[in-house]
Amino acid sequence: MSQKPFLLAAEGLSKSFDGFKAINDLNFYLDEGELRTVIGPNGAGKTTFLDLITGRTQPDEGSLMWDDGKHDLLRLNEYEIYRHGIGRKFQTPTVYNDHTVTENLILSLAGSRSIWHSLFGKITSTQRDRIAEILTTIKLAEHANRKAGALAHGQKQWLEIGMLLAQEARLLLVDEPAAGMTDEETYRTGELLLSLAGKHTIVVIEHDMTFVRQISQGRKVTVLHQGHVLCEGPVDRVQSDERVIEVYLGRKSKAA
Amino acid sequence: MTAQPITGRIQLPLLIVASVFLVGVMPLLNAYGLIEDFTLNLWGKYLCYGIMAISIDLLWGYTGLLCLGQALFFTLGGYMMGMHLMLMIGKLGQYKSNLPDFMVFLGHSKIPAFWQPFYSFPFALAMVFLVPALLAYVFGYLAFRSRIKGVYFSILTQALTYGAALLFFRNDLLMGGNNGFTDFRTLLGMDLRVASTQRILYICTALLMVSVVAGCKWLTHSRFGLIQRAIRDSENRVLFSGYATANFKLFIFVVSAMIAAFAGALYVPQVGIINPSEMTTEKSLEAVVWVALGGRGTLVGPVVGAISVNALKSWATRAYPDLWVLILGGSFVLVVMFMPKGIVGLPAQILTILSKISRKQQSIDSPPSISEPETIDP
Amino acid sequence: MLKSFFVTTLPQTCLVGLALGLSFFTTAQAQVTEKSVRETVASAIVAQPAAAQRELILSLKLKPSAEAVEWFGKWKEGAIFLLDDAAGVKTPVILTGAAAADDSFATLRVSDGTPLLGADGAAVRINPKEVEFAETDSGIRRAMKEVTDVVALADPDISKRLRAIQDAAVGQKVEKLPALQLLKTTEKNPLALRALEESIAIIQLRSPLVAERIGACQKLGDLGSLAALGTIKTILAETESAKDRPLVLAAEKAISAIGSHISRINAAGTAFRGISLASVLLVVAIGLAITFGLMGIINMAHGELIAVGAYTTYVIQNIFASGLNLSPFGMSISIPGMHLSAGGMDLYFVVALPASFLAAALVGLVLERTVIQFLYRRPLESLLATWGISLVLQQLFRLIFGANNVQVSSPSWLSGNWTVNDVVFGWNRVFVIGFAALIIVVTWLVLNKTSLGLLIRAVMQNRNMAACMGVRTERVNMMTFAFGCGLAGLAGAFLSQIGNVGPSLGQNYIVDAFMTVVVGGVGNILGTVISAFGIGMADQSLQQYLGNPVIGKILVLGAIILFLQWRPAGIFVTRSRSLD
Repeated sequence: MSQKPFLLAAEGLSKSFDGFKAINDLNFYLDEGELRTVIGPNGAGKTTFLDLITGRTQPDEGSLMWDDGKHDLLRLNEYEIYRHGIGRKFQTPTVYNDHTVTENLILSLAGSRSIWHSLFGKITSTQRDRIAEILTTIKLAEHANRKAGALAHGQKQWLEIGMLLAQEARLLLVDEPAAGMTDEETYRTGELLLSLAGKHTIVVIEHDMTFVRQISQGRKVTVLHQGHVLCEGPVDRVQSDERVIEVYLGRKSKAA
Repeated sequence: MTAQPITGRIQLPLLIVASVFLVGVMPLLNAYGLIEDFTLNLWGKYLCYGIMAISIDLLWGYTGLLCLGQALFFTLGGYMMGMHLMLMIGKLGQYKSNLPDFMVFLGHSKIPAFWQPFYSFPFALAMVFLVPALLAYVFGYLAFRSRIKGVYFSILTQALTYGAALLFFRNDLLMGGNNGFTDFRTLLGMDLRVASTQRILYICTALLMVSVVAGCKWLTHSRFGLIQRAIRDSENRVLFSGYATANFKLFIFVVSAMIAAFAGALYVPQVGIINPSEMTTEKSLEAVVWVALGGRGTLVGPVVGAISVNALKSWATRAYPDLWVLILGGSFVLVVMFMPKGIVGLPAQILTILSKISRKQQSIDSPPSISEPETIDP
Repeated sequence: MLKSFFVTTLPQTCLVGLALGLSFFTTAQAQVTEKSVRETVASAIVAQPAAAQRELILSLKLKPSAEAVEWFGKWKEGAIFLLDDAAGVKTPVILTGAAAADDSFATLRVSDGTPLLGADGAAVRINPKEVEFAETDSGIRRAMKEVTDVVALADPDISKRLRAIQDAAVGQKVEKLPALQLLKTTEKNPLALRALEESIAIIQLRSPLVAERIGACQKLGDLGSLAALGTIKTILAETESAKDRPLVLAAEKAISAIGSHISRINAAGTAFRGISLASVLLVVAIGLAITFGLMGIINMAHGELIAVGAYTTYVIQNIFASGLNLSPFGMSISIPGMHLSAGGMDLYFVVALPASFLAAALVGLVLERTVIQFLYRRPLESLLATWGISLVLQQLFRLIFGANNVQVSSPSWLSGNWTVNDVVFGWNRVFVIGFAALIIVVTWLVLNKTSLGLLIRAVMQNRNMAACMGVRTERVNMMTFAFGCGLAGLAGAFLSQIGNVGPSLGQNYIVDAFMTVVVGGVGNILGTVISAFGIGMADQSLQQYLGNPVIGKILVLGAIILFLQWRPAGIFVTRSRSLD
């Protein structure tokens, strides 16, 4: 059906919870190396969509193919999907609170996930360097031995992004990275994501339009509404789209 | 948190001193008559309980799996050893028959086929590990595969133990029914009724204890230990970090079943009896009490808990037979509510309280440590 | 071929039997229409010879009445006296009134109950020690017995009548046939008719006519007669040596028909026991479905709350009777009793039900306030703490009520049973089922139709949100927990009626109760109901099939574990979309 090789192709996805259609006939295509921003009002199905991709929820119907149709994500469970290089940052920062920052990164390092390796595998010096590098990137070097639970909210968000980096994921799914951050933190988070673009394929879910403008920079933005793609295109075009103004921006301006 | 480095630094020397005392000094004192045989035997029993407590902590404290079936694995190990010991009685039993007494009593004339191989000590020893491991593997595979966790896992292990106890209470299982196995005579040719044999058994137990502590120390400090604790805190997150958590849980479940079984196998020749009442959920829960009281999530805590509760029990069942259960139950409630880290965590807990008071005095507002609500663990 | 054989022979045998019976009865008919029962008895007493006496007695068979039996009793015990008048005619009389100074009594005629007057018109008084009384011999007594049997067959009380009909078949006496067959023509009650057919057929198994015996076999097979099974087997054994093919075939067929009837009875019995076990599970688990299912608290002391209810029932029962002496902790407590009569005692249970609900709810309330309220977010800890509480409570029961089981007697209206088509339904089990249904309905009403229920559901779904909306969640938690515990108490009141009450009463049910809730799906009352029925039926069927309760129970536990493979969250999954 599709002519161009897509990294991720979702076709006809539907998922309902007790009659509520969270995702409704969703079609979504992602190219390798893209930085895609997904916006949409509350309940548009953004997080459910990520749940479907990462295997947390099973759709009622539809298909979800990975890497130019080579793998059917619906047949895989959470950790298998992860091992295909799909990493996710959750909406509320989900790190291991009782582990130190370094331990959090060690757990996320790319490499074997076997019991044997966990028992007898040593951390190589390359991996050590990689961790140090990531710590610098996410600006947590001086907190390396603190427990993650003791970090500030924004730092946890970054640690989680750092965990995605340690994973060397091909696709980063980033759910509302700017939530609960100060303006400055938000801006720096945007910078971080932009610096990763190209090296990784990234899907960012976001509410904050300033942030969306910062990171999209003419790239494609997808608007979800009632579990369906409402429109796609550069941020300016999307923002001037009548339907989008009605369902999303319109409400937002009213609220403001 | 503040107490962590201090305890960390004194922990190792303290552990080494304790090990030397338990493995070397106590038996020596016993050999020279300074410790009574009875006391040494009692300590052997406590240490067996301590090892079982570690196996519970490995699951509960480190992995977040509260298993109410650990007494089952312990007892199964004991039964496997018991079968060998029963056969070693030979014609010395009451009925002067090659068959264990209870079989004669039930009217059997031949040793059942599944008993035959237990004449061999190595086979019995292998079964001590394999039978509980297999049971743990099958049950754990089913439970973890269908992602049964938290209290459901506890309830199911409780049911498993209950079912097994019902089975072992039956005579037609040919495992001694109600009365179980007793009246053992020899082990590897040594008379179980003399002090020197009991001393050897004690030393074995103490050695096992030290090696289990050392082994678990290594295990929990490896990356496996990191994953274990990560599963405890946020299993779903671990799944989304690419780990097949079910396999990790299964592995630790089987390991801990084997540890408990080994402890049970050493317990039986020292105590001289094994019966299905050791297998009940109450026994499992009692062992969980030791862990909770001693301090879970540590390796020393369970041992401290097992020894102190059992020492208290030995004393209280004689001094206040009626009130003992009230004391046990009541202290349990109090520990769960007010001492979440148990005896071992008490110094740290006191330090925290003290520092809070002093901080209040300095009237400096410190941000309370907020634990984020777990959003992906429904 | 066999069938046509019966068709042709049966009417013939019946006719023969009828003819015999009729000829016998017609001779006696005339006398009975003329005389009342007491007149007949009076004439029988004085009749001569003994054969005539017997004939007169037997004539009463046609008009079976309790009166005749009463007169026979007096006759046999020597309370009927014979007075000679001048002509030498004997008059049977009975004594009446009080004894006079000379030990004499006034008399009444047996024949009509009028006072016997002497020639002077004065009442005749006799001294029983001086006057001859009417005697009986074995022939007369046998005749009386025959009449008594017939009277019993006509007893207006259906259960007595049924027993008499069934007794008639014992010994397979052919002479009892006519009375039974006669009764069959007048009997209206279907149960009695069935019993009549059965008894007649059992007697006919000894009939001299082979055709009649074959017919009886077929009839008994059709009826699925349990009583006849032994006899038919004997007949089969006897006949097989005699090589009477048709009879052997008929007997074999009857045995297999009765056999399948027995298996149907067993199946129905199993289903009934399964339903009643399910009801027990349900009653035990429903409280847990609320505290565990709705609130997420693993209350290991749930079993002990059941015991609280059971002991409350015990105390109430003793208060209704002769009081109770307890000696906890060396103190001596004496609870006075009301010493009610048996009728009053039957009411104790009506009082015990609400009392045990309240007692357990109160204990629950105390638990919630002192321990559980601190552990709402720590389910594993609540499991451990409540286990500690369960230990303490068990020990308290031991110290207060003693380590042994205490005796709780059921009200008389709970004993007894009800038999339908050979399946026995014990009243207490029927009561269990009704009680379970009632509790479910009440719980459902409380949860769905009261404001408390609305609050409960709101708090259980989203504690924080409810708190924000101004719901006093603490209060709701408290009430919910107390309600769940109260239901446990009711279960205890109820279990005291069907089992032993002892300190470890609760331990016997706790695993089953948790299993029921887990299989049903947490937070779903309907799921609990369905799973209770599933587990109850499976348990009883396996028990019946394997003939071994323990193995059956273990298999059920195994099945539950496997079931959870298929549906880890139970029968009903509470699906929710986590907030994003």
